[in-house]
This record gives sequence, structure tokens and C-alpha cells, in this order.
Amino acid sequence: MKKILRNSCLALCVFALVLAIGLMAHAQTAPATAAPAAAPAAAVPTASPADAELKDAAGKAPATADLAKGDPGGTLTGTINDVPAADSKAGVTIPDVANQVGQNKIAVNFVWTLVCGFLVMFMQAGFAMVEAGLCRVKNANHTYMMNFFVYTCGLFAYWILGFAIQMGGAAGNSNLGGLQPLASEHTLSMFGKTWGLFGQSGYFLAGHTYDVGVMVIFLFEMVFMDTALTIVTGACAERWKFATFAVTSVIMGAITYPLFGNWAWGAGWLSQLGTNAGLGKGYCDFAGSGVVHAVGGLTALAVCFIVGPRIGKFNRDGSANPIIGHDISAVLIGCFILAFGWFGFNPGSTLGASANGNLRIGTIAVATMLAGCTGTLGAIIYMWALKGKPDASMSGNGLLAGLVAITAPSGFVSATNACIIGLIAGVLVCISCAFVENVLKVDDPVGAISVHGTNGLWGVLSVGLFADGTSNYGGSWNGVTGSVTGLFYGDASQLAAQLIGISTLIGFVFTLSFVINLALEFFMGHRVSIETEVGGLDIPEMGQLGYPEFVFRPEPAYSGD
Amino acid sequence: MAANKQQGSYFGLFLAGATVLCAGFAYFGSGTGKALLALGALGIVGSMLGYMGIKPLEGMTAMKPGSGGMKLVGAGVALLGWLLTLAGIHITDSAGGRIIFALLGIAVSLVGILYILPAAFNKNALWKGESASQRTGMTAAKTTMEHSR
Repeated sequence: MKKILRNSCLALCVFALVLAIGLMAHAQTAPATAAPAAAPAAAVPTASPADAELKDAAGKAPATADLAKGDPGGTLTGTINDVPAADSKAGVTIPDVANQVGQNKIAVNFVWTLVCGFLVMFMQAGFAMVEAGLCRVKNANHTYMMNFFVYTCGLFAYWILGFAIQMGGAAGNSNLGGLQPLASEHTLSMFGKTWGLFGQSGYFLAGHTYDVGVMVIFLFEMVFMDTALTIVTGACAERWKFATFAVTSVIMGAITYPLFGNWAWGAGWLSQLGTNAGLGKGYCDFAGSGVVHAVGGLTALAVCFIVGPRIGKFNRDGSANPIIGHDISAVLIGCFILAFGWFGFNPGSTLGASANGNLRIGTIAVATMLAGCTGTLGAIIYMWALKGKPDASMSGNGLLAGLVAITAPSGFVSATNACIIGLIAGVLVCISCAFVENVLKVDDPVGAISVHGTNGLWGVLSVGLFADGTSNYGGSWNGVTGSVTGLFYGDASQLAAQLIGISTLIGFVFTLSFVINLALEFFMGHRVSIETEVGGLDIPEMGQLGYPEFVFRPEPAYSGD
Repeated sequence: MAANKQQGSYFGLFLAGATVLCAGFAYFGSGTGKALLALGALGIVGSMLGYMGIKPLEGMTAMKPGSGGMKLVGAGVALLGWLLTLAGIHITDSAGGRIIFALLGIAVSLVGILYILPAAFNKNALWKGESASQRTGMTAAKTTMEHSR
């Protein structure tokens, strides 16, 4: 009996010893088995040479006492000690370093995209100054307030609906961590192919779209949308009823803009022209000549038709009277602010500065600069040579026209081609302004239709002509392998995709905007009363003058016969 | 009458209706979602009817009624051009053929936008009947502005 008891105790001790050894072994291998699924090879032996090197680096890293003395040269700050270890006892391992590298890539891209978004947001100030400066002093408060309030209206509309329509099916962007919560695109099957129509996730940024990557793309896309909305306020300034402006801005931010934005950028059918119809890399609009500027410019044209010209703009024979803005200094400073913001607009549209060919941001920034430069040159030389003066407001419009035109091709063209695109835009804006005023008899106080509409379309077209096939954003664009290449570099099918995009802008976006605003004309009316318009919109519409201490020279009474 | 309290109230109602409507879209699969959708639509329609009610009180505008039918024809022609372009994607497989269809579509749309719509809106444009005194006034204003420039 005693022998049995002794043998049992011995067996129990052996079992306990085996169990303890097993637990220890399991504890040592646990970090390796907990490595991310994306890196199965990370189950490395615990004593690999790389781990030894990491331990060595940790040993050589500056101690807390060294850091406490200060690091004026920056040579001690940022070492292996700053890499978080999953298991503090095991120290930093290869999986820890790999995870940190991945997170650094996403962090760089987040910061890049957010900062560029902040720059684009600041463009609202530029638009406000340009538009108000080109209007008369009696309407200054009203024009500034439209530019101020459009930000709020657009943002709210985009949050409740617009973002879901535009980006609800835009999952798959590896620059921002995949954006997997945005994976719900409503599609239509036609002729054996599936075409994206609109997104369906992201309403109110709630539920599974409460996600860090989704927030970044929301901010960036939102400020783009607001840029499109503020284009309309300039074209319809000095006679647009504030209430109708507010309602139409909400509708545009919720429906019109996001719908085309989805088709071009959110996995919609235009972006699928490459995969579904074999047309180049699908419709390509790098930063939004079409999505932002042409949508804004064409909507401005639609509303301008409905709201009509300002009193006194046209004579009975149809000839136009110039109505000069009150502050050319605000106009030109506003143009500079816009040019500054454009460095967020175009380079920021890579949605990252790390990986996937994003080092092209320098090329994009230079192309943006040069197109603005040649746009200004084109407009100044055209006006100076034909009209005798280097017109200041048209010079500003030339700068903006060049920037608008390079927005779509900025990611795909060389510096020389950017100069050509900008120069053509600078001349085109002058011709278009004259056409809109003298042929269409449309009154556009700031030239928004020509700057953003005409040159937005020119920018979209120029991708199909000038894209040189050297860009490489992760090896493909819109799901088609290779680089975007235009007609002049051998791919006519890309031009076809761009023309289909232009036709959609002119035929669909314009018509949708026109019908929506015609309905609002029926319910609300777009135009202020004659008394309000002649006296200035500041007091009747806003209750306060923009410049209360100015002395106005009264305008003649309007007889209306 | 310019901006007023009713306008502000109806804008608030419009925004509230739009928000509820979108909540309805977000939860469309459930019964609550459908109820929210109907409620939101009701709010938007209510705000529009409210705006329509106060529209006559807001004074005469510098616009004369144009040809409503022609405006819709212009928009229809613009849309037709787009449909022509879309048809081209499926009718032909060649890039050249699709370019031709797209150019045709753009041309048709431009006829609607640049020819039919301006004709519809400018047919009864107010400036065609502006008085001589108004034009004289504008000329004087123009001279003043050019001097100040």
C-alpha cells in the first residue's frame, strides 16, 4: 500500500513537471502564434538572428537618463524603444516591427490626406473673397454669407446622405487601410456586365462605418464636394434668394454631386468602363476637373438660366454692360488662396504619400503650379493683345482656369504637358466668358461657368490626350493593369472613356441640376424681388450691410416697363 | 418681402425632413426605416408647400414667364445626347466607333443646352423691354465704375 502511494506521488510530480514545462513552452511561443494573419511566415523561431539583432539594438538604444539630458541634435530620439512590443517580457520582435511599419504607412497616408483636406477646406475663404470682390458693394454681405453657409449646408447634406451615395461602395483603397466598411455598391446588370450605380453604406457615418479610415476619406471627399457647391454661388450672385440657395445647396450636396462622384470615384459605372468595356483605364479624373469643377460649373449654368441676368446687365439690343466688382484686391488675394489650396486638391488626391507610387506627389504639385502659371499667362496675353489691358479679374480667372484644367490630368502628365494644358485653359476662359455673355446672354458675375465648367470639361478631355503612361499607382488604375495613357501616347480608347464622361456631365448632370432647380423655381422661386435687387441684397436678405460705413451712390429707380 | 421668419422655419422643416428621410434610407430594411422615410418625405413636402404659400408675398421679380415647354424640350435634348453616347458603348466595340458616338451625343446635348434653352429663356427676357431711362442709368453707372477703376 505504501509502495502504491509512493509511486502515485512520483507520477503526480512527473505530471506536474511536464505540465509546467509545457506551459512555459506555450508561453514562449504565444507571441509568434498571435502574429497577424496577413503574415503567416511570422511564426519565426524565438531565437532567430533577426531577433538577436533586435535585442542588440534595444541594448544599444539610449537610456532614459541619456534622453533626460536633452537631444538637441535629434540623434537620440526615435529608436527601437519607440516600437511597441506585443509582449514586454519578450521585447520587440520581427512581427512587432512589421506591424509598426504597416501602421506607419497608414499613418503617413492619413496625415497626408487630412492635411491636404485642411488645405482644400481653406479654399472656401478664397472662393468667398473672389466672389464677393467681383460683386458690387451693396451685395457684399449676401455673397460672403452664401460662401459661408454653403459650407454648412453641404457638410450636413453630405453627412446624412451624400457620402453614402458617393463612397458607400468604395472599399479597397490600400492607402487608407482598405476602407472595408464601405463595401456596399448598388449595381445594375446590363449586357452581361455589372455596373455600379450608387453606394449604400455610410449614412450618418454610423454603425460599421464608425471607422478611422472612413473618417479620413469622409473629410477629404467632403471638402471637395463643398468646392463644387460654392462655384454656383458666384455665378448666381447679386440676385439669388438666400432661402432657395440654401435648399438647392443641400440637394446638390446630397444627390447631384455624390451621384457623379460615385460613378467616377466610388466604384461606379464610369470607373468600370475599363474593366467592363475595355476603354483604357476607365474614366480617369485624378482630382476632379469633372467631378468637382464641371459638376459645379454646369450646375451654375443650369441655375443661371433659371435665375436670369441681373437688372441692367443687358441692353435691349442684347449687348452687355460691364458690372464691375467692388474689390479687385480681394479678388486677387482670393485667387492666391485658391492656388495655395490647390496643393491640397491635386497632390492630396493620391490619398497617401507612402507606397503605391505615391512619391509622384512632387510631380503632381509641380504640374499644378505650372498649369496655373501658363493659365495666367494665356489670359493676360490674350486680354492685353486683344483688348489693350492686362485685365485683373480675367488674369485671376486665367490662373484658376489653368488650375481647374490640370486637376484631372495632374496625376498622369508631364510638366511640359501641364504647361500646354494650362495655356490653352487661360485662353479658353477668355473666349468662353465672352461666349456665355454675348451669345448665350447668361449673366455670370464671376465667370464661374467658364472657369469651372468649360475648363473642367477641357481638363477631363486632356487626360484622354496628354496622359503619358508613366504614372504607376500600385500597378493599375480603376482595376485595369498598367498606366493611364492618352491618345498622343498611343491609347485612343482612353479618349473614348473621357468623352463618355464629358457626355455624362453635359447630358446627365446638367439636366438633373436643371430639373431640380426648375422644380425649386416652381415651389420657392430663385430670384429676389426687383426692389431688393436694385437696393442691394445685404439689408433685405441678410439684415446687415457688408460695409455699413460706406456711403452709397444711389442707383436710378427701376421702372420695369 | 425679403428674407423672413417663415422662410427660416420652412428651411428648418426641410432640413429636419431630409434628415429623417435619410435615416429612413439607412434603415430601409426595417419597418421603422420605412416609417421614417414616409415621415421625412412628409416634412420635405410640407416645407415646399410652405414656401409655395409665401412665394406670392415676396414681390415682383425681374423675370417674365418664358416658354415652359421649350425649357423641358431643351433639357430633354440634352438628356437624349447622353443616352446616344450610352447606346454607343453597346452598339460598337471599337474605340473609334465609341468616340464617334460620344462626340455625336455631346453635340446633341450641346444643341439642347446652347441653342434651345437660351432661346427659351431669352424669348421673353426682361432686358428686351428695359426702358430707355434704365439703359441711360446703366450707362451712367458704367461710366462711374470705369472712372473709379
